[in-house]
Amino acid sequence: MARQIKKSKSKLWFLVHSWLALPIWFFVLIVCFTGMLAVVSQEIVWLANPDVRASQPDDNAERLSFQQVLSALNKAEPDMAVRFISQPDGSHFALEAAVTYPDGTSPTLYVNPYTGAIQGKTPDFNFQAFTRALHGWWLVPFTNGYSWGWYLVSLLGLPMLASLVTGLVVYKKFWRGFFKPVRTQHGSRIFWGDLHRLAGVWSIWFIAVISITGTWFLIQAILGDNHVTISTEPIVPVIAREQVPQSPDGNPVPRIDLDEAARIAQEAIPGLDISFITLPATAYSHISMGGRGWYPLMFQTAEVNPYTRNVDSQFLLGDRSTLEFVTESMRPLHTGDFGGLPIKLIWFFFGLVLTLMVLSGLLIWTKRTAQATAAALKRSERPARVRRHEDTPVEAQP
Amino acid sequence: MSQTQTQTLPPSGLKQWWLKWRFHFNILLILIPLGFMPKYFADASLFRGDSGLGANVVKDIQVDRWRLDLAELRDEAPRADGPAGHFKVFNAALCQTCTEGAKAIYLRIGKPRNLRAAGSIFFGSPYRMSTSLPIPPRTRPDAEIWITIEGWDGSMHQASVPLAKASPATVAWLEKQGGK
Repeated sequence: MARQIKKSKSKLWFLVHSWLALPIWFFVLIVCFTGMLAVVSQEIVWLANPDVRASQPDDNAERLSFQQVLSALNKAEPDMAVRFISQPDGSHFALEAAVTYPDGTSPTLYVNPYTGAIQGKTPDFNFQAFTRALHGWWLVPFTNGYSWGWYLVSLLGLPMLASLVTGLVVYKKFWRGFFKPVRTQHGSRIFWGDLHRLAGVWSIWFIAVISITGTWFLIQAILGDNHVTISTEPIVPVIAREQVPQSPDGNPVPRIDLDEAARIAQEAIPGLDISFITLPATAYSHISMGGRGWYPLMFQTAEVNPYTRNVDSQFLLGDRSTLEFVTESMRPLHTGDFGGLPIKLIWFFFGLVLTLMVLSGLLIWTKRTAQATAAALKRSERPARVRRHEDTPVEAQP
Repeated sequence: MSQTQTQTLPPSGLKQWWLKWRFHFNILLILIPLGFMPKYFADASLFRGDSGLGANVVKDIQVDRWRLDLAELRDEAPRADGPAGHFKVFNAALCQTCTEGAKAIYLRIGKPRNLRAAGSIFFGSPYRMSTSLPIPPRTRPDAEIWITIEGWDGSMHQASVPLAKASPATVAWLEKQGGK
């Protein structure tokens, strides 16, 4: 008796598991696939476009400082305004500089970190941005708060988490499945089933990470759209009017250069890594800079006043609340961009496995569950008709 | 789950069709990104500055010795930003030969009395700057938006443009708000 109950319960779990992904399988498949591409999109661009590579002219060449890069850019294009310079994660990538030309066009330039030479600019079709937008919000524009495409995609975290849990419940002794060979001789249904289980046990951790962080994106959107903030990041006010000098002759007051600003920040904040620097966007703005801290999933930033040389504001690892350590880790855990190429390749590989899981689950479903459903439908037709015949006289009788 | 449902319901042609195909409808979700793709690329081009300054460009506004173009980022009503109210993004560009000497440029509905109340400051390079202008719902539709340029010598220079010219969609929105 007890055994029967147990059996029927696991049958129910199984049913839940097989129905979970179904109304959305194709959508999940595309989201997994684009996510897998987005993880390595930067590397794909690196392979495809030589402008993005940081080619060292000779072995002795050294990397330029931010100010040296800025000077090189100003020399090459005296009328161009530079807004932002950043070193992508990985020394094989060229620097990126956001600039504005006198005609108002504002591309991002690829700059050689050894020579300061402009190697190219982001193409009109930005593969990296496109795959991320497709994966992240299904290209639905953000018009009022978060785009509904963002909700659509991030909602998938829930069924994914549920399919992980139900999958583990129905897979008896799954911990013994890590080295079970995939049977290829017994037809495609057995093959896809074996592959689905094998891929499943190896990617338990990955599915958990992706679905939990994906669900976080949903929570983040809900919080954001309801104007709830859990951030302790200071809101940096513009520089006070008194601190920005006037010049009687009407010429701009000189500001400290980027290297001086970086030196001041690093002196005030030992261990501050600077991988990006934003030039003041107004006469009342700071030089802001930042980079990864010892905990590679989070960034530390500092704002240096270019007139008084003070570090007016900073946001370091130690300034974060415990909650922020968790929530701020969610995005890098999802995208795998916190440990250079090795982590990205691991994320890419398991992204591929996850895509295959969805595909194999889908194939199993069409081969088995759909057939079973069709059969059940056929069976139900006859008794249904019989019942209708029976019903009519019953109703007719008083 | 759905099997029990099918057993109790008499299947009709439409029902059968629905039961058979309902799980394939999600394939239609692919139409969403396909439909938004032109908009995505148009936006990317707008933010790169490849499609000009924005909508309803007011060219060559003379502010003392400077000349400046003003445009709304999009030809649309102000966007709500929660308790902070409604905002409208404007872009501006100083003429290429007259960027010298301008310390800051501000935008405000109604004439500012002094530099401290000059309004929202424009961010970015003189060739393409942006600011997010708060639009109080009670603004009169015939209001003027004022551009204030602050010189590095502390001087203040002003010019104005009718809101109706700079952003017709905002005026239309304000007229709708009028009743409230």
